[in-house]
Amino acid sequence: MGLRFSGAWLPALIAIVGFLALPFGRPGRPFLTIDPNLYGWAIGHPLLWLVLASALAALVISLLKLPTSPRGDLLVVAGAVGLGAGVLWLLLTATPFGMGALVAATGMALVLGHALSESGRVQGDAFIATSILIVSLFVLLFIIYPLFMVLRSAFVIEGAFDLSQFRRTIGHPLFFFLENPRSAIDEVGLTLRWGVVVGLLSAGWALFRRQRLPVVLARLVLGGVLGLILGAMFYGRGALPTSLLTVAIVAPACTLLGLAFALLGQRSRFRPVRRSLDVISVLPIITPPFILAFAMIFLLGRRGIITHGVFDISSNWIYGIPGVALAQILAFTPIAYLLLRGSISSLNPALEEAAQTLGAGPWTTLKTITWPLVRPGLAAAFLLSMIESLADFGNPMILGGDRNFLATEVYLSLTGRYNAHEAASYGVVLLALVLLAFFVQRWWLGGGSFVTVTGKPSGGALAPIPRAIEVLLSAVLVVWTLFVASLYVSIVVGSFAQLWGVNYSLTTRHYRDFMTAGWPVFLYTARVAAISAVPAMLLGFLVAYLVSRHRFWGRRFVEFGSLLSFATPGTVMGVAYIFAFNTGPWLLTASATIIILALVFRNMPVAIRAAVAGLAQIDPSLEEASTMLRARSFTTLRRVLFPLLVNTLVTGLIFAFVSAMTAVSQVIFLVSPGNQLATVLLLGWVEQGQLGRAAAMGTILIVSMLLTILVVLALAQRISARVVRVES
Amino acid sequence: MDNASTVIRGITPATVDLRGLVKRFGKDVLAVDDVDLFIERGELLTLLGPSGCGKTTILRLIAGLERPTEGQILIDDDDVSRLPAYLRDITMVFQSYALFPHMNVFENVAYGVRVAGRPQEEIRERVAEALAMVGLEEYAQRSTSALSGGQQQRVALARALVIRPRVLLFDEPLSNLDAKLRKRVREDIRELQQRLGITSVYVTHDQEEALAISDRVVVMNQGVIEQIGSPHELYTRPATRFVADFIGSANFLPGRYDGRVVDVLGYQRPHEQDLPSGPVTVMVRPEAIEFARPGEEGFEATYLSSAYLGPVTEFIFDVTGVEVFATISGSGMSRAERGDSVRLRFKDVGVSLLPPD
Repeated sequence: MGLRFSGAWLPALIAIVGFLALPFGRPGRPFLTIDPNLYGWAIGHPLLWLVLASALAALVISLLKLPTSPRGDLLVVAGAVGLGAGVLWLLLTATPFGMGALVAATGMALVLGHALSESGRVQGDAFIATSILIVSLFVLLFIIYPLFMVLRSAFVIEGAFDLSQFRRTIGHPLFFFLENPRSAIDEVGLTLRWGVVVGLLSAGWALFRRQRLPVVLARLVLGGVLGLILGAMFYGRGALPTSLLTVAIVAPACTLLGLAFALLGQRSRFRPVRRSLDVISVLPIITPPFILAFAMIFLLGRRGIITHGVFDISSNWIYGIPGVALAQILAFTPIAYLLLRGSISSLNPALEEAAQTLGAGPWTTLKTITWPLVRPGLAAAFLLSMIESLADFGNPMILGGDRNFLATEVYLSLTGRYNAHEAASYGVVLLALVLLAFFVQRWWLGGGSFVTVTGKPSGGALAPIPRAIEVLLSAVLVVWTLFVASLYVSIVVGSFAQLWGVNYSLTTRHYRDFMTAGWPVFLYTARVAAISAVPAMLLGFLVAYLVSRHRFWGRRFVEFGSLLSFATPGTVMGVAYIFAFNTGPWLLTASATIIILALVFRNMPVAIRAAVAGLAQIDPSLEEASTMLRARSFTTLRRVLFPLLVNTLVTGLIFAFVSAMTAVSQVIFLVSPGNQLATVLLLGWVEQGQLGRAAAMGTILIVSMLLTILVVLALAQRISARVVRVES
Repeated sequence: MDNASTVIRGITPATVDLRGLVKRFGKDVLAVDDVDLFIERGELLTLLGPSGCGKTTILRLIAGLERPTEGQILIDDDDVSRLPAYLRDITMVFQSYALFPHMNVFENVAYGVRVAGRPQEEIRERVAEALAMVGLEEYAQRSTSALSGGQQQRVALARALVIRPRVLLFDEPLSNLDAKLRKRVREDIRELQQRLGITSVYVTHDQEEALAISDRVVVMNQGVIEQIGSPHELYTRPATRFVADFIGSANFLPGRYDGRVVDVLGYQRPHEQDLPSGPVTVMVRPEAIEFARPGEEGFEATYLSSAYLGPVTEFIFDVTGVEVFATISGSGMSRAERGDSVRLRFKDVGVSLLPPD
């Protein structure tokens, strides 16, 4: 029993060959240049000799006839030393890594993976151990390290800890100022008044509830602070109050609308209503996030059909908080709806019936049963809308007008004012706010999440909504649907109209313009998105599999990392990638590679969630049975899990592709001449006022995404049906 | 054994030796607490105990699905404690059968041979052989979901045997079957195991199943072994009160033992057991109590209640303030009244001594 040779011999050999045959560093950006001076042996640094020596040692040890576990221990040492020495050399000399380093590092990581498995230090075979290692390294390099670089840029200047830049940024009027000397009103006084009023109201409520004096005083102070914050948000200017005020409008609106739609979807008496909600839930997936903002210009802008055409007003009112908030509500309500749909549908009607048989009236039932069960879903929807609103980039870019927002300031300070420290400081503030919301949500819902998940929907009739309320909600839905539909229609019409608002005669001019200026970019984007979707899906599946099926040291770290990459606003991640990969050993910028990597790690969490949900449906003893039949875990993945999850995986793949196609904030920093992306180009056209051309591109984007989803989902169903047929 | 070698070639049963095995989950949960156990070549050993006693954990440790926190696992003198599961020549039959839903019966059974990279010809041969062994030759092309529970169970068994394991593990394999089928399948398993002479470890919480199927039974409680022995030993000479209570049912009565005679409830009875003189707990199986015929030795008891169960009647008596329950064949005292006094005696078997509480 045991292994005669260690499986590490092959990767060790690969590492040696890579080290000898390929350059360890490279002189500049291009990967494929071979500089004879940058071969590992030509540089002759002791650390590099150590890399070669440990690879040779690993090869020899692998082939020695030793008991499996102690040999594994020796190989762990060799692998760790080799990998560590190589990385240390790169860090010390800040030489961009070359192909040789890539091959040698991969080889040594594989050696380490085999060794960890054979030594028994990681439970699982070489594939599992290597996967754990590589996933952890990826999380470290492409999620944690870039975010660390943002912190570093904000707080470290010329090698020393220095708060001055951060203080200058948040002290700047672009960030926050209250008293505007040129305005007629007294902002500070008004804000103070808000503080006093809210404080007194809160204390009065406490008195009314007959609370004790310390509680009343505490309420007074808390209410006062809340009032001051609200006042500052309302009267203040700058990115912070603007973003917060927008959030304060958008999050409650999205949550309420989401709840209304979820109630209708679950309990409406009319089938068409429920069907239309299915469509609404798919729309944001196929639409680039700022398309609706752009369409709002057509409908509500200075020459908008509704504003100018119907009411004959020509105003700029949508540029600023109202427009951004409206665009965000349209964009994020479907997300809130999806979250709440789950929690509404998990409400077990039997619970409400049980309460009623125990003598609770409708109002008591609502208060004691329904509300506590829906609350986690509401909280999740609220906080997610908050996060989306804070992180949103496209809508404020288009409709922000003279107001600045945190997410756009990150971009503008780097690309407009060329101030990396300022961009990092904005990034830190934005990240802190988003993570705060995120962890409040996790903390609030963590542990005792009492969503009644029982798998099968239980019997019992759903209590229909009272008719008056249903009519009201349906009216809201109809207005919503008409508005959104007219937005989409206006994009299509706009793409064929000579000049919106002036000359509505039909033309194909915009499509011809698009074909010359946009089509190559569109194809390139599709290629990049397709390339990024595969690793995003595979990596997501792998992480989901490792995290949900294996216990290993560092599991928390991997989970945390993928959570972080999900929660981090796109602009912050984009700027983080600039800081992390613009110089030094990990030089990757100005290439398709960096765009692909950004998209991979952006879309990985979505794939993880899909795969975790899929894996939860599969009895783990199937995998154990496969292991007990002496299949290695890779074989188990390929022969057992993959066929069973084909549907989930294809769906994950297609969503990764579509969201890579429509992503904008995380890649806007990373595009370069020759690496232009469709959404970034589209955003540029909208900003330059090339609305017809932009509408043409928007139409093509939406239609092609819709077709992709429909075709691929249909294919996936055929594939999975065939897999089942062939195998059984 | 000879027959077996013609049915399945290449099974060489191994011994399993557990030394000081400890398994902790997290910081607080001690699932297996310092277990030593030697499993003989070719025997069927059952791990029996209530849920959470650590029996399944031991099985998974032997399989390599869990890593021991401390201690060693030896298979034929090879230390496999740190060896990954797929390198141990062991396989397992799962409680849920774990048949791959996307494969038919043939593919399920072929799986282990296929992933070992054997040629097509050999795969066909070995699958046919294994299916014949469990009597499912006809079903090779069926979908697993079209089989009954008992048939699925046999597919799982064939799938395990086809890779010629040196040790076969069973994780509560019968718990998803109904009572009647359970009896038949367990006889099939036992028959096959003896024919192949394959070393087997069997986990169950059903004491009747354990007694029926095993060469030896290990009774476990809270991560430690309470007693190891043949089914007969465990029933007639339980080492602890837990074992006596878990296997069958028993009365526990205070008594004294002087090396030759045990004094229980004022009733003197010759008894031989290797136990020091002094106070003891006397375990009396309910079926070891019968009515004393006139003139026979015995003791006085007061009738409290009874329940007629057909072949036997369950009685509850009061003996000097201690409640004693007995199952006595026949209807006996169908017209007794509460408070009637009777004379009872113990049979020769079914009485055993335990250390005092």
